[in-house]
Amino acid sequence: MLAARHPWLQITLVEAPDIPTIGVGEGTWPTMRETLAAIGIPETEFLMECDASFKQGSRFDCWVSGAEGDSYYHPFSLPPAGQMRDLLAAWAAQDGNQPFAAAMTAQAAVSAAQLAPRQRAMPDYAGALNYAYHLDAGKFAALLARHATQRLGVRRLAAKVVAVRGAEGGDIAALELDDGSSVAADLFVDCSGQAALLIDGHCGAEWIDRSGVSFNDRALVVQVPTPPDSAVASVTIGTAHEAGWLWDIALPTRRGIGCVYSARHMVDERAEQVLRDYVQRAVPGSDAAALTPRLLKFRTGHRARFWQGNCVAIGLSAGFIEPLEASAIVMIELSLRALADALPMSRSAMEVHAGRFNECFRYRWERIVEFLKLHYVLSQRSEPYWLAQRAPETIPQRLAENLRLWAEQPPAPRDFPDFEEIFPAASQQYVLYGMTGSPQGAPSAASAPVAARLAEVHERARTMLAGLPGNRTYLGALAPAHEERRMA
Amino acid sequence: MTSHQILNPADHGQLRISTGAGSALGDGVMACLAVPAEFRRLASEFPILFRYDAESRRFGALALFGFEQGENLYLGEQDWDATCRPLAMSVQPFLVGRPQHGDGPSQVHIDMAHPRISANGEGMRVFDEHGQQTPYLEKLTGLLGALDEGYRASGDFLAALARYDLLEPFSMDVTLDSGAMHRLVGYHLIDEAKLAALEPAVLSELHAAGHLEPIYMALASLGNLSKLVRRKNLRSNG
Repeated sequence: MLAARHPWLQITLVEAPDIPTIGVGEGTWPTMRETLAAIGIPETEFLMECDASFKQGSRFDCWVSGAEGDSYYHPFSLPPAGQMRDLLAAWAAQDGNQPFAAAMTAQAAVSAAQLAPRQRAMPDYAGALNYAYHLDAGKFAALLARHATQRLGVRRLAAKVVAVRGAEGGDIAALELDDGSSVAADLFVDCSGQAALLIDGHCGAEWIDRSGVSFNDRALVVQVPTPPDSAVASVTIGTAHEAGWLWDIALPTRRGIGCVYSARHMVDERAEQVLRDYVQRAVPGSDAAALTPRLLKFRTGHRARFWQGNCVAIGLSAGFIEPLEASAIVMIELSLRALADALPMSRSAMEVHAGRFNECFRYRWERIVEFLKLHYVLSQRSEPYWLAQRAPETIPQRLAENLRLWAEQPPAPRDFPDFEEIFPAASQQYVLYGMTGSPQGAPSAASAPVAARLAEVHERARTMLAGLPGNRTYLGALAPAHEERRMA
Repeated sequence: MTSHQILNPADHGQLRISTGAGSALGDGVMACLAVPAEFRRLASEFPILFRYDAESRRFGALALFGFEQGENLYLGEQDWDATCRPLAMSVQPFLVGRPQHGDGPSQVHIDMAHPRISANGEGMRVFDEHGQQTPYLEKLTGLLGALDEGYRASGDFLAALARYDLLEPFSMDVTLDSGAMHRLVGYHLIDEAKLAALEPAVLSELHAAGHLEPIYMALASLGNLSKLVRRKNLRSNG
């Protein structure tokens, strides 16, 4: 991103060949389309190289009661324009009691039918609906590295950082590598993951632990191969279990499934059982017993400062709150975007940039923590884990305040005023009304124009169901077309 | 080769139609049927000409797209480069059908051999999973109805033109910038001199029957001939 936006920069990537990538983090946000377009990767190439599929949002199963049929969508497309209060009234006045997301956007029906959000004839990165991707994280990292070095002029060193050479004022002067060489630079981006070699190891930026709010700290992960003609879901499916939840991400060739849990509330053996039961149930024809899950442990929290001196932490080195709602990759994108937008031209301006960057991202981490917590606070499940999730002392003050407001009025843009708000009012609405249904005491008189807007949603859904191809059809048609273009 | 069937959810429940434009979709034609009811709309883009069909021994109206067989100068690589499209192009691969016996209500037929029949799972569905018409088919049914009605009304119109001898033969030599020559022959157009000389009573009759507007629209559409030549030049030079 930095190389694409500022071609004059000299960028060196230091990557240790013997440190594997995490290899999960398979769900992106719609921001990824802008990112890929900005760095100049054609969409078909990306889809093919990364075994990617389309993600149109999330479906949350068993989060409210855990009973049969307990399911709601959080789609990426927004509700119709207008006052949410009026839309809620129009929704309540509809017959048939359809779920909030289905009333507000055609995307719920399109996702349920496992259709793609676009047609192949559309220009790259454009869609009939807002969408993101599911992808093979390992292949994506390789594509990015190849693209950066071959097309954007980034220098890549396969070496391990063994020491950090400091400069005056706490800055970093250079990195000492295990091959004996060193890399000096004006600005260092710490992408060393949980190791946080620079931001922690050198700068000693304070870590703020958030495990008191966000309990999950482990994930057991498997990849289940799927037959070439199997259906490909349009959403990440998140299914709650007794002490956490499971993710289920469909790629053309496999399903990535992970059991996320809190070690304080569940032992690893039980989590493995929950995972195997799910795979058995959700992936017909799979051999759950033959799978070897991989255990990931993660620390929940973030830095107090992400930019200190001439070092910026991006990625896991900056922080991590469990994988729910796939906030990790989008935070990387937003960090890069902020850095590229406001790249310091001198050391003296750096303090100002750092101060603003830190303020902006502290705000964003707070909003992530609160939004993820919202999914747990609205649950009615009664296992100890879920009761603990709802204990008032674990709920951030601002979230508690929001919930008091939302008993009387819908989540509003005024509650989320950042210009790149990570979870805008619409996201809050999808989760709030997805989990709690139609609010009590909503004014029942729906105005005709607003009712007409919901009727338009229904018509749009009919049109899209008729015109959009299935995910499998779309992705299956890419290979021959891609091959044809390469031959031509 | 055509293969006409009566459209129905049992046989065509999964059917998808390739929309869009392209010669691979059957759009590479030099002209198509035009009905008087759409002359006003078409007159802003296409030359409207008439042609005598020896077999049916009657005249028909056409919207002209090109100067030689298979040439459609309104067709880009993948797009239709005009603000409108004649009904006869829009309704493909559907047709208006009639029951085999009698003059019952018209039916929607489909040509299953048409290149717009999609075989790859992409395109517009005609019926949803409950066998109900999709919005796409609803729209197409409306267009077919308009075409059918327009076609039925065109008999009176063409008879009136014949009655007052308002058509004159027309041929046109087109010389391109490159020096290449094309010749349009066998067409007819409105005879302006005869039109100007019509008695008031006849004009009044034509007006009352709704024929006067399409006559003048067909006349006005001839300005598009020079635009069509320009498209041809652009394409030859490009």
